[in-house]
Amino acid sequence: MTSPLKPPDGNWWNQPINRREGIWLGLAGTWSVIIFGWMSGFTRFGDQNPIGETYEVSASEFQDKFSEYEDSAEETDAGLVPPGDDVYIAGIRFSWQGTPVVLETGREYDFHLSSLDVQHGFSIRPEHALSQQMNFQVLPGYEWVLPMEFDEPGEYHIICNEFCGQGHRTMHGRIVVRDS
Amino acid sequence: MSTLGLFDNDYDEDGFRRCSVTGLNVHRTVENLVKLFGLSAVVAMVIGGTFAFFVAMTRWEVIGLLEAQDYYVHLTLHAWNLLIFWMVFMEIAVLYVGGPMVLGRRLPLTALAKTGWVTMVVGAVLVNLGVWMTAPPDTAPLLTAYVPLTAHPWFYAGAILFILGAIVAAIPFFVTLWREKRGQPYKTLPLIAFGAFATSIIAFEALVGGLVTFVVAFLWRMEFIGWMDAAWYRHMYWTIGHSTQQINLAAMVTVWYFLTHVVGGAEVVSEKVSRTAFILYIFFINLGAAHHILSDPAVSTGWRIWNASYAMYGAAFASMIHAFAIPAGIEAGRRKRGLGGGLFGWLTSAPWNNPVFSATVFSIVLFGFVGGITGVVMGQLQVNMTWHNTFATVGHFHATVALGTTLAFMGLVYFVVRTMFLRRFVFDRLATLQPYLYAGGMGIATLMMLYAGLLYGVPRRTAEVVENIPGTEFNLAAAAPLFAIFGVFAVIAILAGAAFVLVAVASILVGERVDGTGSDADIVPDGGATVDEDDPVHAYEMRGTFLLCLLFLAVFVASYVANWYLLTELWSVGL
Repeated sequence: MTSPLKPPDGNWWNQPINRREGIWLGLAGTWSVIIFGWMSGFTRFGDQNPIGETYEVSASEFQDKFSEYEDSAEETDAGLVPPGDDVYIAGIRFSWQGTPVVLETGREYDFHLSSLDVQHGFSIRPEHALSQQMNFQVLPGYEWVLPMEFDEPGEYHIICNEFCGQGHRTMHGRIVVRDS
Repeated sequence: MSTLGLFDNDYDEDGFRRCSVTGLNVHRTVENLVKLFGLSAVVAMVIGGTFAFFVAMTRWEVIGLLEAQDYYVHLTLHAWNLLIFWMVFMEIAVLYVGGPMVLGRRLPLTALAKTGWVTMVVGAVLVNLGVWMTAPPDTAPLLTAYVPLTAHPWFYAGAILFILGAIVAAIPFFVTLWREKRGQPYKTLPLIAFGAFATSIIAFEALVGGLVTFVVAFLWRMEFIGWMDAAWYRHMYWTIGHSTQQINLAAMVTVWYFLTHVVGGAEVVSEKVSRTAFILYIFFINLGAAHHILSDPAVSTGWRIWNASYAMYGAAFASMIHAFAIPAGIEAGRRKRGLGGGLFGWLTSAPWNNPVFSATVFSIVLFGFVGGITGVVMGQLQVNMTWHNTFATVGHFHATVALGTTLAFMGLVYFVVRTMFLRRFVFDRLATLQPYLYAGGMGIATLMMLYAGLLYGVPRRTAEVVENIPGTEFNLAAAAPLFAIFGVFAVIAILAGAAFVLVAVASILVGERVDGTGSDADIVPDGGATVDEDDPVHAYEMRGTFLLCLLFLAVFVASYVANWYLLTELWSVGL
């Protein structure tokens, strides 16, 4: 009996499986393993991974670190020039503290991302290619250190894409990337 | 109860009647509560659908209907009424159909079922009122109420009550299964009951997680708790936030098996395979909630990879099993009835005029091709960076719940109108067209959401970003043409939703009553509802289904490769 409304009769577990259904099970199972393998492997050999050190940090602690960074950075007309390879960006309603910041291509920076109030979304794309965008969640209480290396010069725009209050849509920052 | 004649079918002295369409022995208690929960779901759908208009017309910034502050309130009400209230009321009805109705039992503890319903209604009303009365310093919570943003206290209280109500309303279902198995421990449950049982387990996990989340958040909002960790809240919130969507999925798959059988003549091609897929869901599907924190700090890489992939895609594999089993059931079942020659004759000869059938098939196709594929692709750790919090995410869940689950539930409501309220459809031409209009309108609107998010990085949850980002020269105006298409088709989808409500409600109120003397030819598959029991279904051809599934896999692989290609074009990030 093969109605889904009635209990199956007899030894239904040992009913043969249609040949094509069997082939499909093999294909689907293989595909599942492939995509799992690729995703795991990419953390080892890929260049784009949302992986970085995380530290618990209070808003005031991060504020102190940020101020220290800001004091040692050089202020230019185009924006802050970081003193070393560390770049601090703090989300606070409704702006990205530490932007605009001026960086060089081909140099790996450690981005220190945190929020001083509520959750924000760090959503970044170059002006010349909107489809090349990346998005990271920024949490209060956590400092996320993400290494980034830009290979193309240009204006990169950061918008907030996690709802953070009435002015959420105005929260915008810039990164100016110049040829080294 | 004889309200408008909605609850007074003819039952024998034991309270049973035999359904001429499904052949099930239906008890008064089950039928009346299914009607009650189903109607409540439709009311929530009307409210949420009304807000959909305001939300869509704001996102289409040329119209720009609402100010930002109002937009977030409307968006919240759109989300809670459709994603939570419409779905969960309907799912309780699915449990009652899948449990006591399919097993031919009465619903035990009807007082509990009614208590659950009242609690859920009170909770839903509180959430709606609380959100509507949002005032500074509170903000509209949207679906997620992310800490440390605060929402109106009634919102948390309402969410807690609604979750409690759903748990209470599910108890009679569990008791039904307990009694069924206690009487005959070695008798196998019918597949529909088994699917409903799997759904209920997934639901229970989700609801308990939600209770913990919202009780703590409520205490925090009332200042009994001084501080809440944002990462802990996200982690806990998604135990219900995404697991409720897994309830939608499991319930929807169960409804697919049910409706394709009763109106399309589908059979179960392999009990073993389909049941195994449900078991995989029980074990793995709720792990997938982790994909919401793939682009977050605070959780380790291994944890993210293992959980977001449903433990090496155990649940995605299960969905691919159903993707074959259900169409194959239609194909083999119809071939067996002599209703399909050639490769696709079983499909072309299907009852495409019956909205129950067409809604179900569109649900299957669109959920698989759009919702399922986007979900798995965006749930890959690295690809998630290019999807997280963009409008493409919104596209994904409109494909799963607005195209998949909602269409399946529309089909189920039509079926309930015809076989439990026992009314023929008024405006039957509109009824026939409605699933086509809705699937088409919502389908294209959904594709536009996906494109806007992926190609232009348009964020979700924002009132204004394409025409103008206040305070800067920069904007995403390049995406404007997509939003023009989105806006037009969103309106079509909303009108099609309204047409669904009109047909369902008008039929219930003034439709011609089915008195058992007329024919059921309008609803049952050709050749009647019964099948030859000794004719093994697995021996029938499944060529057509196999070809369709290969096409599905090809689209899946192509989408996967395209997304990874775009990702590797980006600058380098991460350790």
